[in-house]
Amino acid sequence: MPGHLYILVSLALFFIGTTGVLLRRNALFVLMSVELQLGAGSLALLAFARGLGDQRGHVVAFLVMALAAAEAAVGLAIVVSVYRSRKKIDLDEINELRN
Amino acid sequence: MSIVLAGPTLLDKIAFVVLAGSLLGFALLTITRKSAVGALMALVGTSCAMAGLYATLSAHFLAVLQILVYAGAIMVLFIFAVMIVSRDEEHPIALRGLFLRAAGVLATGYLFYRLAWIVVYERRTDVLATTITLPIPEYGSAASVGRLLFSDFLFPFEAISLLLLVAVVAGVLLARPTRSNRRSQRGGGT
Repeated sequence: MPGHLYILVSLALFFIGTTGVLLRRNALFVLMSVELQLGAGSLALLAFARGLGDQRGHVVAFLVMALAAAEAAVGLAIVVSVYRSRKKIDLDEINELRN
Repeated sequence: MSIVLAGPTLLDKIAFVVLAGSLLGFALLTITRKSAVGALMALVGTSCAMAGLYATLSAHFLAVLQILVYAGAIMVLFIFAVMIVSRDEEHPIALRGLFLRAAGVLATGYLFYRLAWIVVYERRTDVLATTITLPIPEYGSAASVGRLLFSDFLFPFEAISLLLLVAVVAGVLLARPTRSNRRSQRGGGT
């Protein structure tokens, strides 16, 4: 398939992920939307790697995958810890660090 | 020697349309579901469709890893978090500051439009041209990606392993109940 179709799909996926990050209130859903954004980036990397015939894009996508795992571990730990102490995970109502 | 693929056949087109459509559909479900478990299952579907797209780009090693890491490891993490923090929300879309958020979404949409225009307009350039031959026969296999990973990208590989270790320690440290918390829970129980 032509490479630009993959880039278009990746752009649409990134747009959906950004919309989720901006509009959802629940921290869990925001983390899921961040996963969508990272996946969109990986897809674009692999499409360009295929077009250029270069495997270094695969290595970078591999590193992004490991990074996504680390981000999910730390992010979910923060969500659980905030829920334990505040009993809420709405991002609008968590403002302990403000003022 | 290079393997010659016979261009995009009808089967290739069908596979691409089905995979891309289910990818975007599952992604939309992920950000619109009210229940966290439903959104999680849609995220699993997104990962599987993404792995299929990787396979059509002849990135077979990454396709397998996508299933293993996303549908396996990250999903288990999310399921445990949902189990602890299970709370469906009545108003999933934020209403406070909606104007600013809508402006952000509109700006992202404009960015999407501009980038898509560039991609469509420049679709004849070399980078994104249709390549029907694989550069090397073992392109995207675990052996050739792994060889690159352990030669040119050895330092990033070791750095990311250290980062994962730090993330695991941080996760344990953050999710463990603190002393004051435990006392308040015990006080609430009696």
